[in-house]
Parts: sequence; structure tokens; C-alpha cells
Amino acid sequence: MSYLPGVCTFCGTGCGHYLKVDGASVNGVFPSRVHPVSKGRLCVRGWNIHELLSTHERITKPYVKDGEVSYRDAIAKLVSALSSYKPEEIAFYVSPRSSNEDNFALMKLARSVFKTNHISIQSESGHRNSLDVLFKGTGCAGMLGSLEDIRKAEVIIVAGMDITTQNPIVGSELHYAARNGSLLVTIDSRTTKIARLSKKFMNIKPGTMRQVFDAIAYYIDSEKWGKTTIAKYDEYKRYLEAVPFKTIEEVAGVSASDIMFVAEKLAKAKSAAVFFTSGISGLQYDTVASIYNCFALADKIGREGCGVNPVAGINNLQGSFDMGCAPDLLTGFQNIDDAAAKKRFEQQWNAKLPELKGRSVEELLADSKSPLKALVIVDHDDGIIKFADRLKSLPFVAYIGAFTNKVADFAHVVLPITTYIETDGTFTNAERRVQLSVKKCNPAFDVLPMWKLVSDIAAAAGKPFNYAHASDIMDEIASLTPSYEAISHKALAKKHGIQWPCTKKNPDGAKYCATDKAAFVLPQKPYASVQANESYPYLLMLGKAQHYWHQNNIMHKTFIPLREYNATLLLYPDGYVAIAPEDAKKIGVRDRWPVKVVAEKASMKAMVMISDDVAPGTAYAPYFIRDSITSFLLAYGDVVSQGEEATIPVRIEKV
Amino acid sequence: MSEQKIVTVPEIATIEEIKDEIVDVKTFYLRFDNKEIDGNFKIKSGQFIMCTVFGAGEFAVSLPPSPENDRFHITVRKIGKVTDALHDLEVGDKVGVRGPFGNGFPFEEIKGKNVIYVAGGIGLIPLRSSIVHVLQHRNEFGRILLLYGSRSPQDLMYQYMLEQWQKIEGFETFITVDNGTPEWKGNVGIITTLFNKVEIPVENTVAFVCGPPVMFNAVIKELMQRGIKDDMIISTLERHMKCGVGKCQHCAIGRTLVCTDGPVYTYRQIKTLGEQI
Amino acid sequence: MYLIKRDDIKKIAHALEEKYTLYGPYLDEVYGQCFFDIVNGDTVNVNAPIPTNPPKQVVFPHLEKIMQYKYDKKAKKADIAMLFDDAPRALFGLRSCDLTGLQCIDRFFLGQEFVDEVYRHHRSRMFIVSNTCVVPFKQCFCVCTDSGPAANEGYDINLTDLGDSYLAEVGSEKGKAFIEAFHFPAATDEHAKLKQKLVEKSITMFEDIAVESKAWVSRVMNRVTTGFIKEEIWEYIGNQCLECGACSYVCPTCTCFNINDASTVEGNTYRLRTWDSCSYEGYSRMAGGHNPRKPIEDRRNKRFFCKLSYSQSKKYLRPGCVGCGRCAWVCPGDIGLPNVVTYIRREIHE
Repeated sequence: MSYLPGVCTFCGTGCGHYLKVDGASVNGVFPSRVHPVSKGRLCVRGWNIHELLSTHERITKPYVKDGEVSYRDAIAKLVSALSSYKPEEIAFYVSPRSSNEDNFALMKLARSVFKTNHISIQSESGHRNSLDVLFKGTGCAGMLGSLEDIRKAEVIIVAGMDITTQNPIVGSELHYAARNGSLLVTIDSRTTKIARLSKKFMNIKPGTMRQVFDAIAYYIDSEKWGKTTIAKYDEYKRYLEAVPFKTIEEVAGVSASDIMFVAEKLAKAKSAAVFFTSGISGLQYDTVASIYNCFALADKIGREGCGVNPVAGINNLQGSFDMGCAPDLLTGFQNIDDAAAKKRFEQQWNAKLPELKGRSVEELLADSKSPLKALVIVDHDDGIIKFADRLKSLPFVAYIGAFTNKVADFAHVVLPITTYIETDGTFTNAERRVQLSVKKCNPAFDVLPMWKLVSDIAAAAGKPFNYAHASDIMDEIASLTPSYEAISHKALAKKHGIQWPCTKKNPDGAKYCATDKAAFVLPQKPYASVQANESYPYLLMLGKAQHYWHQNNIMHKTFIPLREYNATLLLYPDGYVAIAPEDAKKIGVRDRWPVKVVAEKASMKAMVMISDDVAPGTAYAPYFIRDSITSFLLAYGDVVSQGEEATIPVRIEKV
Repeated sequence: MSEQKIVTVPEIATIEEIKDEIVDVKTFYLRFDNKEIDGNFKIKSGQFIMCTVFGAGEFAVSLPPSPENDRFHITVRKIGKVTDALHDLEVGDKVGVRGPFGNGFPFEEIKGKNVIYVAGGIGLIPLRSSIVHVLQHRNEFGRILLLYGSRSPQDLMYQYMLEQWQKIEGFETFITVDNGTPEWKGNVGIITTLFNKVEIPVENTVAFVCGPPVMFNAVIKELMQRGIKDDMIISTLERHMKCGVGKCQHCAIGRTLVCTDGPVYTYRQIKTLGEQI
Repeated sequence: MYLIKRDDIKKIAHALEEKYTLYGPYLDEVYGQCFFDIVNGDTVNVNAPIPTNPPKQVVFPHLEKIMQYKYDKKAKKADIAMLFDDAPRALFGLRSCDLTGLQCIDRFFLGQEFVDEVYRHHRSRMFIVSNTCVVPFKQCFCVCTDSGPAANEGYDINLTDLGDSYLAEVGSEKGKAFIEAFHFPAATDEHAKLKQKLVEKSITMFEDIAVESKAWVSRVMNRVTTGFIKEEIWEYIGNQCLECGACSYVCPTCTCFNINDASTVEGNTYRLRTWDSCSYEGYSRMAGGHNPRKPIEDRRNKRFFCKLSYSQSKKYLRPGCVGCGRCAWVCPGDIGLPNVVTYIRREIHE
């Protein structure tokens, strides 16, 4: 009877699984058949999670540069080091993979004990853009719809997301919905698997997602199918008037009849939902705004089967924002400048919160003049190594994590913690579903859960948190966070989670975010038009690739997921640039031949991948082979921050 | 004690000598620590073994030595995690060995025929044992030819053997490189260019072909055009292998398994398997 | 043949528990999902539906340490120990599909040129009590694959629920010796006939698709074997494959495995054997990157060849599919084996 129910913690889908736990080792996994999202399925990562959970590559003891030490001494060293710096010199780089309890404890540690607002997860996260737009438009900083109900949508649009590899079980639900009769439309610049499974695929020019959604909205509005009673409609209408509807064929490379077809279906369907990527490389604020506005106009929010749905790539990305792991946020998307909210936290914590404006850690690391001196890094993947020089020069770095990690080499103090199955904790998936993962086994080594470690650090700093159990932390979260008001470990026990807002009035949570106060969200910038030209004839897209987009460190602890992940790295060890077969002929190269990709500001070497997935005139390079294209990406930092929409005109030369 | 086939538990062998071949390719001479095994470990030309590099893993590798009087050795290209670890070992280090596995070359059936060897790059490694065997039994065969090509002179495998072979009377050796160097006096051009320079026997002829897929397909075309029948073209295939004994199924090709039904196939068989090479 | 009162059925489980590690179906207490795993005489649930995990897991675990070694590089000393496990195990309440699956694996692991020693040890001291499905479960189609609803062979004891009591049939000397000790009343031919009737009734209760497909599986096998299936069909199927590997993992007859060596902090290395799937791209990729089976439809095609062609399934001496329906439960692409049969049969129709 060793199969214990739990939550998969790879991506933001939050699938339900059963782990086969024998003593302290995890020897297998099977899907949960009654889980409302995954409904009996797992992806390649989920099916092999036991390989990660049974790895020997764990940090087993606290250590400092001189060798192993006790927790007590390591904590003392951490506290005395951090206490010797000014608050603005201290930052916390926390993990979107940690549980809500762990992240809340860390956020409280940073703000109430070490008085810094410098706390963040990856700053390039496109999820923040999505949350900002949706919060501004509806007051709900999360997916408006629900993954559980995908099959209830009559029309489904996938916008620029390779969803069957990023969140495969969500992709699977879309596929099932399409087989059940939903109209599945993919709008993308690459022919992804979901594009192949769609009834309608609009292959748009790179960087024109926003124009396409605006054109759809324009047509809905001009046909008077739209809902005009939403706040700020007049301003939005003025914005729509400037949309280049007549030239959309030329701008985006799609036919106007396709736009009109989708617009009509979207406006007239009973229900419709849109899914777009919202992970490390999400969409830009204005693009999300255009998608949201289009759906608000079509009256496809706040109802069954409807929703504007950013799909978080990492298991607790949504939860990390919910827990206030951002320089300007407290829990539940309450702004730190909100005096009433701030006061509640100060009263509860019996501490003054810092006044100093916080900055994201990546910003602090990238800015050579920033005051950063001491950094606490939690369970991070290898991506941060791009700041290796700055990390090396910091007077104090602490690393907290369960698995061995190259980032720990930079640390002066390393503190091990348990894995997520060795303690209790909650995770909030992409659809706001807070799920409890209960402890399944004792720690394989003599290590503490993170929430306990953080409590001990606070106590050593003279400000004890007094948590006896992770559930105490959730009780505190609930007391400070309106959207988590009625959530507790007790309420979550033996349930497949509750979707916030979960209030005392509405303790079962909400599948759809209510929208009686919905408003249009006006885009802020003019269209950025990136055009190919004679010297740079190809539009290079940057994006994710493969099943495994960012968890390099995690993947390296496995065998089968690593093997699948490494497929591309092995074939194209120097990174690749995918081009269409006819372009390959033009350039005179074959698959795996070396080429030079030259842009205005920088160039990089890569191997050619010939692929039908990219359209002629475009090229595609994945982020994940960062090692080989770092300098190129740094030169185009501003473009890269556009995430999935980053587009750079390049020339491709045979070497 | 009878002939040994080590199926389940790897036998420990000592690396007695390491020879650098070309860049990233080394030959490791091995001797079993258990004397009884050492005396009874009989291989057939064309077979392979599974070799464990302790701490890294196990990999499949073809056997280049001739069964008769060659020292037991493997020649390995550094190409992944396990072979990287093997290359880091030194003389005196131990490895684990299972095998020998696979069917081996069909020498009985080709007696009296002309034999052409066509190899590309490190494709010469698995053919070496066969060449040595045929040369040892020179009088049982007709003409013997070797057509060998590599990317550059530095990439030619077993250079010392090639020099010896070129001196053997009645062994017609032709060597070419894709890219020459100033010092290189021989042929330049891909391997198929040799076909126009050499008088290739067709009747009563068997061809052994081994090399990268692109070269393989081009060579097959040349041979078939000249009229050599598909069942007279013999190759040894490489596949991802984990167990060596027909259980893990990684090496499945069509309805056969390379580890137990192969690795030696005729081109006629390969054609019916319905998969890429 | 013996007759066992309903309430006495647990006596068998309890008796087995004394001599064997007892495996059987049980319901997870949180959500009620059924698994096949170590149980005790009290928790085993003979009436549970078909388990989520195939019982092959007992003899071919999801992840298993098969060998341990330590290499002292300084002293040039290597110690290798196989981690064979031949603990006595009893499988209680095995359904006929899963028993057939076990027999397939037996034929493959034990009956080919080489014997898989790891498997042989697991299997060496096993006692099997199978359970007739007098009511089929949703998505079952063992009637199409000649593997149910009642087991014909391979068990030590087979149970059939006759209503107020169970009919116990003996399938081996071991089973006979075991059950005689209970002194249960002997069953008569009447009881055997009643069983037969119940089995026939069960067959009529399968879902339509199973009943309709009865002949189709063999016709499709014919097609697959002769290779007369259009590329587009394989492409259509391949397009829907999300490469999760689930179909292989839940299949009672799939035996592909991966081997990896993992070292501990103390310097011990374990050779791990884990399940693998031919739907993964890395499955057939060689060191250096060449992959003879790169396109997804090649890989999909491969799995169905393995299950549905005569030449491949001869290693099992029967079709490679036992009709348990698990691959249809878990497939993110809706290409479980029954659907694939449907796609191919549509083509035959045309």
C-alpha cells in the first residue's frame, strides 16, 4: 500500500499523481485518475519524477567554504553576515518551485527581519505581465478561466505557445476538446504540434501577435458583436480605430478572411478561452492587454468555458506571486504601497516593513553600480550563472536547496533542505488551484524543511516566527490575504485543491474570476514593428524548446527526462538555428552544418536545423542553449525581455 | 571449463595497455582477472561486448581483434558520458566485461569468394577482425580488396596496420581522404570516387560495408549498380544498446534485435527491416 | 474445485500472508483509486476494479537496483554484487488480462535465447491467485484479445464469484497442496457450469466497442503484419502522440527498460533498471546523436507493430495486447490501442 497521492511539481499544470514510496525511497509513480486537471494522465517529466526524487545528488549537510558545519553554526554565520549589511545591500532570490509556505516564510524573513524589499523570482518572467494586465482589467491576478473546464469551451485559441511540450497535459486537454467538437485555433509563427492538431492554424509573421488580436477585436467591434458596456470602452474604441485592419494581411502575413472567421466564431460562440505562454519567456504587457481586451469585448470572461488563460510554466510560479515574492508586492497581489495592507502586515508581524523601494535580483546583478552585497539564493536553476562574475565578487552569498547545484559553488554558506515530499506544503498551479502536498516520507538525510530553517534563521536573528508546522504558516497567509482567506491545510486535506479566491463566504473557491468590475486595459506602447531587410533578411525568433525549458539543474538529476532533454543538445551542441528547407537551399547548407547568425549588434555561431516548423524568411533559436548564445542574448537584452515575442532581423551565413 | 559467455554479472578485466589511435579514439588491451575466464573467453569475428566503466555505466562495443591470435582489445571513440570516462582510465584500471554477444560474420558461407571491404572512418574498427581473419586464411578466398576513406589523413584508423596491409601481396588496398593535406600523397575525394579507379570484381564477390549512414547508402548504391547482389553485401549495424542480450529492446530494428539477431546483417535483410540505417 | 464462502475468502489471503509477501488490489484511502501492491489479508480488496498499475510492477519494478559495485581506483579493486531478489511473493486477485500479461513477460524474459536473471529471481517463488471478471470494467476489451474474462492457465488457484460463494479452481500442484489444507467443501459440476454461465454473461456485458472489435483485432493484426497500412494513418496516429511514454508504462506486456549507473556520496554505485518507452526520442538515439527512428510516427508505428504484428508478438506466443484498456485511460493524445485499432479498421472498411 505504498502509493501515496500527491501533486507533480514540474510545471504549472499541477497534475495529480501517486508516488510509490518505500521507506525513504521513491520507486515509481502513477497518475491520479480522479484529479480534475490531469484526469489520469502525466507527461514524460511526470512519469519519471521518481528518478529525481530518488537521486543521490542531494546536499546532505550544511557547509561553509572551510567544510561541513552544524545547522546552528551555519545559521549563525548567515545571520551575522546579513546583519552586517544595510538592508538595501541584501537581496533574496527565491524559487518559483518552492511551496507557498516556504516562500511566504522567506518573504517575511526578507521584509520583517532583514528589512529589504529586494526579493524576486526570475525578473524576466512574463507571468508578471499577464498578472498586471488581468489584475488591472478584472481585479484577479491569475488565470481567469479554468484548466479543469477546457472541454467546455466552444472556441479555443492557443496564442504562440508550444503547449504540448511546455504543459503537455494542458495541450492534451485542448486536443481532447477539439476531438469533442471545440474549434481549436492556433496563432503562432511556428508550426508546433498543437498547430498541427488545430482545425485552424494562423501562421503569423514573428512579432505580430498583438496586431492579430487587435484586428480580431477590430472586426468584432465594427460588426457590433462586442460588449460595449465594459468600463473604458470609449478609450478602447479610439485605440481600435488606429488598428491596421486593412493592412493586416501584409503586416501579419495572414488572410483577412481568417481573421474575420475567427472573430465571428469568437464573438458568437457561447464560450471561448485563450491560452498563452506565461513562463520565463511570456508575452509583453501590451500583447497580453490586446488578448485580454479582445476576449473582454467578445464577452468571453467570467463565465463557464471562458477565460483569458496565461499558462504558468513552473509549478508554483503563480503561488510565488501570490506569496508576494516580488519587490513591490505583498501576498495576494496587494501592493506594498497600499497603506492599509501594509499596516495589517506590520501589525501581524509586529515589525515595521521597509520603506526602501525594492528591485528585482536580476536587475541588481545586472547593474554594476547597484549596492548589492549579500545575496540569499534559494533552489535555483543554472540560469543565474550568466551573472557569474558579479556573483563571485559579492562579499556574501548563501545557497539554500535540496539538490546539488553549481550555483552553490558561489556560496559562503550552504544550507540543505528537504525535498517537497519530505514535508507538508501547498502549491498553486496555473489556474489558481492551491493544492496540498503532504509529507510522504522522512527526509533521506538529516535536513530541515525550508519553512523550519527559515524560522530558525529568524529566531537566531532574535525575531522568532514560532511556527510549529507548515499549516501555521498557511493560517497566517490566510489571515493576511483576502484571496486565500478560507484556505487552510485542514480545508485542503483530501481534496484536489481549491481555486482562489477562496473566502469565508465562498469557501469552495472559484473556477472563474468574477468580472462585474471588468475594464479594458489600454496598451501602453505603439506597435513595435520589426522588419526584415536586404542586409538582414531573416526574422529570428527566440523561444523555448523541447520538453524542458529551464530546469536544467533538476533535469540533470534524472535519466530519462535528461536523455530526452539532451536530444537537442547532443545533436546541436553549439545551439541551433532552425530554418525552412527552402532557405537552407538558398544559403547552401544542410542539417547540422555550422552557420554564423549575424545581427546588427552581435553575431553567434550555431548549427543549422532544417525544419518544416518554421516558415520561409524566419528562423528560430531556443533560449535554453544559453551557454552558447549568451553574448548574443546580452547584446539584445532589451529584445530578449520581450520573451516569446522577441524578434531580431538577422542574416545567416554559411561558415 | 567450456567456452565462456558472460551474460549477467560483468567479469572484471584489467587494462593492460592503452594505445592512442586518432583524435578521441583509443585502443584498450584487456585481460580478465579470473584466469579461468581468460583462457576460455572465445570470441567470433563480428561480435561485440558490453563494457562497464565503473562509476559511469555500460556501453556496447564491437570487437576488432581476430579470434585466433590477436590480443583481446577494444577500440573506442570518445562520444558520450561512459566512453569519456573510459578514456580517462589508465593502465592498471579495471573495467567490467559481459559477452561476447551477437552473431558474427558468416565466414563459412563466403569461402572461395572475392572479398571487398569498404569502410568509412571508424567503420574500419568492426571490420578489422574480419580482415585479419580473411588474411590469415588467404588461400580460402579469391581477390581481397580494401577501399577505405576518412575525412583527413589524421582520421585514418589503425595507421600502423594500414601500412602493414599495404605491403601484403594480393591484398589490394585503396585509401582516400575527403580533405588532403600537403603531406598527403594519396587519393583525395569521398570514398565513392575510388569505385571508378579500382577494378571491382562482381561475380562471386561479397562486400563488407561499414561506416556512417551517408557513406553507407552511397556505397551500397555503387555496389548494387555494379551488380553485386544485396545478399552479398554484409554490414554490421550499431544501435543504442542497454542489455546486449535481447531484453531491453533498445536496439530493435524491424522485427529483429541487433544484439541477438545481428549485429551482422546482409543488405537484403536490412532492406526488409523497414527502418533507416 | 472447491467452494469457499464469501467471508472465508480472506482466510486464503491471511494464509498466503504467512508464507509470502502478499500483493493484491487495494483502494487508496484518500481518493479510492485502485492499486496493485503489497497488502495484508485485511486490506486486500478482491472486488476492486482493475488496478491503475499493471501487476508487472511486482516482477519488473518501475525503478529497481539490479547491481551494486564499488571501485577503488587507488587499489585498483572492483567489487560487484548482483542484487537479485527472490523473496516469496503471492499475487492475490490477479485479473485474467494481467495474468496473461505476466505470461507474456515470462515467455519474453525467460523463454528466449538468454534468460533475464533479475526477472527469473523475482518470479521464482511466486504463488498466483487469479480472479474471474464476472462483470467487466469500463474500457476493458479482453474478449478481443483472447485474454479473459476468465483465466485458463498460469494460476495456482483461480477464484470465481458465484454470488454467495467463490468457486476455487486449482491450476497447479502447489495450488492444490495449498488449498487442500483448508478442507473447503468440494464443488460440483453444477458449480462449474454456473461459472461458465457467468463468464458467458460477462462477455455480453462488455462495452459495445469491445464487442464490435472482437474480430477486428485479428483483422488489424493481419494488416499490420503484412504492412498494408497507409503512411497517412501512421502519421495521423503519430501526430497525436505527445511522447509521454504512458502507454508503455501501464502496459502489462511492455518490458523495455533503461539501464543507468548512479553513484552515492559514499562511492557506491547502483545499476538502476527503469521502465523505458519506445515513444521517447532518446530511446533509439545512439551516443553521438544518430537516431534511426527520429520521426514520431516511426516510433508510434513501432509500438503498434510490437503489439499487433505476428512477427513481433511471436515472442509472447500471442498478441502483445491483453485488452486491459489502461493505455486508453492514460493517453494524452487519445491513441490508446483500441482507438488505433479503430483507425486502422476504418481504413480496411474503405
